[in-house]
Amino acid sequence: MMLKVAAGDRRAFALLFDRYHVSVARFALRFVGDRERAEELTQDIFVKLYRNAKSYKPTAKFKTFLFRVATNHCLNEVRRGEYRVEHTSTEAQEDEGGLEVAGGEGDRPDQALAGRELERAVGEALKAMSERERAAFTMCRFEGMAYRDIAEALEASEAAVKSLIHRATLAVARKVEELQTGSVPARSRA
Amino acid sequence: MSCPYEEDLTAYVDGELAPARRAEVETHLGGCAGCQGTEALLRRTVASMAGLPEYTPSPAMRREVLAKLDALPPTLGERLRALLRPSVLVPAAGLAAMAGLALYTAAPSEPVLEVADAGTLELAMNLEVVEDYDVVGLENGEDLEVIASLHELEVR
Ligand SMILES: [Zn+2]
Repeated sequence: MMLKVAAGDRRAFALLFDRYHVSVARFALRFVGDRERAEELTQDIFVKLYRNAKSYKPTAKFKTFLFRVATNHCLNEVRRGEYRVEHTSTEAQEDEGGLEVAGGEGDRPDQALAGRELERAVGEALKAMSERERAAFTMCRFEGMAYRDIAEALEASEAAVKSLIHRATLAVARKVEELQTGSVPARSRA
Repeated sequence: MSCPYEEDLTAYVDGELAPARRAEVETHLGGCAGCQGTEALLRRTVASMAGLPEYTPSPAMRREVLAKLDALPPTLGERLRALLRPSVLVPAAGLAAMAGLALYTAAPSEPVLEVADAGTLELAMNLEVVEDYDVVGLENGEDLEVIASLHELEVR
């Protein structure tokens, strides 16, 4: 019997990983804006999940629990990291680290703002907003989570989440529009 | 900006407003050009998110996470079991490792999606409860069976 559990242990964990790691990695990527760091964070989040399985209440949706762990972890890490970044690098900005993306979706000049340009606009907006706005926006827009579940993951009220998502969406909207109106020369280039 | 309805527009676009408030916002939208503009902007933005490039995490991550788990210090449960019956449990651990290996090597590139049933996941999420003998609130029958049969390992 113990053998069964011991085997089931890792197997079940592997299943959890297979099912959710893309979501977690995507969340982390939007959160920190750096692919390598996002993947490190994702690994740490799953290790943490494994170790903190006992705090999971089967009454909560697993995805909500997972994103609570993920958000807390990312918030802690980013706070620690930002302190360092602020004091060491100022020139890294010009490289516009932003969000790296895998593979180029072929450029579609017919679309106003697509692919990498859109990615950059969204990345810049995300970077400029508060961490909680960023977390709420990411869970809402990229994971399709309901406000109520986001509230649970962020340990906030639904009213607070509504306002976080609104501010974040407006910020992204303005950044995207800004790039769009400025992208006329970019279009004539193509 | 100054319109008091503005702050509800994203929730409106997301279909997250309670029916009564939703109706109010709808009525207001009919007569407020500012909010109409904002609503259109929000809808465009939400729709444009689909145009972001897909992100595929590195396939090496799975192996690396599992390696990190192997490197974790043993839990109380594991230490206890090792103390109780090393001659039985060492081969058992070996078998478990083999079973694990078989799983990981069988389909390294194809994630085992949708296989996870609720029961397995729940068991997975409760494993540390079992291993730490922290049985308060345990409801899963199988978990209880594990706890109940622990003494057999001692006797045999
Ligand atoms: Zn208005």
